[in-house]
Amino acid sequence: MDVAVGEARERLLARAKKEGLTTIGYDVLGSPLGPLWVAIGPKGVTTIHYGSEPSESELRRLVRVYGPGVVPDPKRSSALARELDQYFNGRRHEFDVEVDLSGLTPFQTKVLVATAKIPFGSVSTYGQIARRAGNEKASRAAGGALNHNPIPIVVPCHRVVGSNGALVGYAGGLDTKRRLLAIEGAEVGRRH
Amino acid sequence: MQNDPLTFGQLLERHERELFAYALRISGQRADAEDLYQDTFLAAFRAWPPPRRGNERAWLYRIATNRAIDRERRAKRVVANVEDLVLAAPERDDVTLADLAGAIETLPAGQRAAFVLRKVQGLPYVEIAVALECTEQAARARVSEALKKVKAAVA
Repeated sequence: MDVAVGEARERLLARAKKEGLTTIGYDVLGSPLGPLWVAIGPKGVTTIHYGSEPSESELRRLVRVYGPGVVPDPKRSSALARELDQYFNGRRHEFDVEVDLSGLTPFQTKVLVATAKIPFGSVSTYGQIARRAGNEKASRAAGGALNHNPIPIVVPCHRVVGSNGALVGYAGGLDTKRRLLAIEGAEVGRRH
Repeated sequence: MQNDPLTFGQLLERHERELFAYALRISGQRADAEDLYQDTFLAAFRAWPPPRRGNERAWLYRIATNRAIDRERRAKRVVANVEDLVLAAPERDDVTLADLAGAIETLPAGQRAAFVLRKVQGLPYVEIAVALECTEQAARARVSEALKKVKAAVA
């Protein structure tokens, strides 16, 4: 029965795609940090969400930008899955997949673009990111924008820390942030 | 109750198994059932959005039922899937599933859909009414009429 539904679904989605009804393909990937719900749109990766289901607000953003044609499509995320695997195994320092930040505010986009430039293994502060996004007084707003980063890991918001080096916060949990920085060999937040 | 589905994927993941089972039960053949499942969801995607407030399941059943009836009118042939009728089988040793399937097969398409929606899929009458585009009272009448005919046929 399950196999039958799976095969029927594959053919259904091929037909829907042919009719131009689908826009975004998603899948749930396994990772050392638990399941990741990932979505790929026409311009690249739109979403990496901690957990096996996306948040309601993230789905609403995708629907606002690309319509309701958001469907399961494991093949579409295979390049991202491969790069994430390599990253978690310490064999990749930069991601080659395209990212798509459509539907975000201009400030949020600037913050995420600035964040994407922080090199592997380094960290920046919220103040530095706010300055690079064009408003050095907006470090709190930069923190808010990073907290709603739709593409964590690939847009490395885990590399942004408080001005005293403290980890401060992370949508995936502080433990996750610590583990990502440990993968990269970044030494922050240590209290001697 | 779950929120209204925002995407095709949510609609599929929530309802495709149940609708596929329904398609198998009313069309009887795997290939026909698969066509019915595909046509139902494609029609739903094209007609997006679904009705609000959690009515999308009955809406899908309505699309599937209408398509099954249309198909049958064209093909003049529907065989109920014997193995899947086990849930509807009366507890009598002398009635075989084949007898039951045969009896259901002789029902007009609308009554057969009513019978399967209630006795196999176990839908509440309020949803059967939406699926069959009739009042709840009429849905009850159709199920009861179908049941009477099935009983008479296997008596």
